[in-house]
Amino acid sequence: MKWFGALLIIAASTWLGFAAAHALYERPRQLRQLKAALRALEAEVMYGHTPLAEASAHIARQTATPVCELFFRFAETLRNEETSVVEAWEKSLQASWGKTALKQGELEVMKQFGATLGQYDRLTQQKQIALALAHLEREEEEAIDNQARYAKMAKSLGVLAGLLLVILLM
Amino acid sequence: MEAVWGILPKTIAMAVQQLPSWRDGIEEIRIRVSRPLEVIANGTARLLPYEVTKEDGVQLLNKLSRYSIYAVEEELKRGFMTIEGGHRVGLAGKVITEGGKVKAIRDVASFNIRIAKEQVGIADPLIPYVYDGRWCHTMIIGSPQTGKTTLLRDVARLISSGTERIPAQKVAIVDERSEIAGCVKGIPQFSFGPRLDVLDACPKAEGMMMMIRSMSPDVIIVDEIGREEDSEAVLEAANAGVSVWTTVHGRSIKDVQQRPTLGSVMEQKVFERFIELTNIPHPGAIRRILDASGTVLYEQRTVVSR
Repeated sequence: MKWFGALLIIAASTWLGFAAAHALYERPRQLRQLKAALRALEAEVMYGHTPLAEASAHIARQTATPVCELFFRFAETLRNEETSVVEAWEKSLQASWGKTALKQGELEVMKQFGATLGQYDRLTQQKQIALALAHLEREEEEAIDNQARYAKMAKSLGVLAGLLLVILLM
Repeated sequence: MEAVWGILPKTIAMAVQQLPSWRDGIEEIRIRVSRPLEVIANGTARLLPYEVTKEDGVQLLNKLSRYSIYAVEEELKRGFMTIEGGHRVGLAGKVITEGGKVKAIRDVASFNIRIAKEQVGIADPLIPYVYDGRWCHTMIIGSPQTGKTTLLRDVARLISSGTERIPAQKVAIVDERSEIAGCVKGIPQFSFGPRLDVLDACPKAEGMMMMIRSMSPDVIIVDEIGREEDSEAVLEAANAGVSVWTTVHGRSIKDVQQRPTLGSVMEQKVFERFIELTNIPHPGAIRRILDASGTVLYEQRTVVSR
C-alpha cells in the first residue's frame, strides 16, 4: 500500500513536470503558427483584396488548432453580428486565448494589431501586419529561449520533486 | 431592395422604412453626415426628419467595404461602388491626391444610393428594326437620364437569351463603369440570358479587344463611347465581324456626327441603326430609329412641342 502511494505521488509530479514542459514547447510552435497566419492575412490583403471576414475564414481553415479558433470566431462574429472590427477582434481574442499556450505579451501585440484591422488602405495595412510580425518575432525568440532553458529542467524537476516528497513521507 | 436594407445602418433603415406607400418607388437615398436624410422617390425629393450621425456614416462605410477599407481601394478611387442587386453607391468626401491624380476618398461624408431598376422587355419592340438575319451594329443616342443604359441592358438580355425565332447569341459586355451588368465579384446582378460574358470595370477600348481575342462574341455591348481610342476599337470590332451595340451622349444623330472623336466611325458608316431616345413623355421613349443612310424607319407619333 505504501509503495502504491509513493508510485502515485511520483507519477503525478512527473505528469505536472511534463505538462509544464509541454506548455514551454507549445508556445514557440503556436507563435510560429500565428505568424504564418498573419503572413497569410497579408497575402489576402495585398493580392486578394479579400474582405476581412472571408480572409479570416480562409486562414482559419489553413491554420492548426488552437490558433485557428481565433480566426474562426473573428470571421463568425463579423458575419453574424453588428459590431465594429475592434470589438469583434477583442471578443475573439478573449474567447480563444485561454485554449492556447500563448502569453500576455503576444496578447497585447494582437490587441494593438486588431485596432488597425480594416481601417486603412492596403499599404498601411501591410505595414501594420509587418509591425505585428516584428513584435511576435521578439516574443518567439524569448519563447524559444525559455524552452531551451526550462523545458528539460521542468521535466526532471517533476520527477525529482516527486521522489523528494516520497522520501520525506517514508 | 433587400441588399440595400442590409447595408443601411439600422437607424436609417428604420427611418426610410417608416415611409408610406411610395417606399416602392424609391430612386435614390442620399445620406449626408450631420444633415437630414434625403429620399428621392417617383421623381420627388423629400427630406426626412432624421439627422445622419457620424457613426451612421462610419457604419455604412464599414458595411459597404465589409469592414475592409483595403478591399475597396479601387472603388474609393473611382468614387462609387456597386452592391448586390446592381445598386450603385456614389461617394463624396475628402479627396486625397497623389501626383495630381485622385488616390482615394477619405472621410466619406456623402453617400448616394441609387436604386437600380430593371425593365425587362423594353427592348422587345425594337427587334423588327434592328434584327435583319443578324443583329445590326446599333448606336443608342440620348441625353443623360433618357434611359440609354437601361435599354442597353435589356438589349443584352434579349440577345443573350434569344426569342422564339431568333436563337440566343454570345454577348460580351465591356462594362467600364459597372453600370450595364452591375457586377459584384464579376457576377452580373441583373437578369440576362445564359450566353453572356462581362468584363467588369475594364477600360472600353482595351476590353473590346480582349473580348474579341478571347471570348469570340457575336455581339459586343459597350456603354458611352466618346474617346478616340473607343472609336478605333469599335471599327476594329465591326471589321472582325462582331455586332457592336453602344450608347452615345447627344440629342440626335446630328449631334453625334459633329463629335470630332467619333468622326472616323461616322464617316465609315459602321453603324447600321441609330436609336434616338428622349425622356418625353417618359424616360426611355424612342423618338426615332434611323438606318445608316439616314432613312427614318420609325418616328414617335405624338410629338410634344414646347
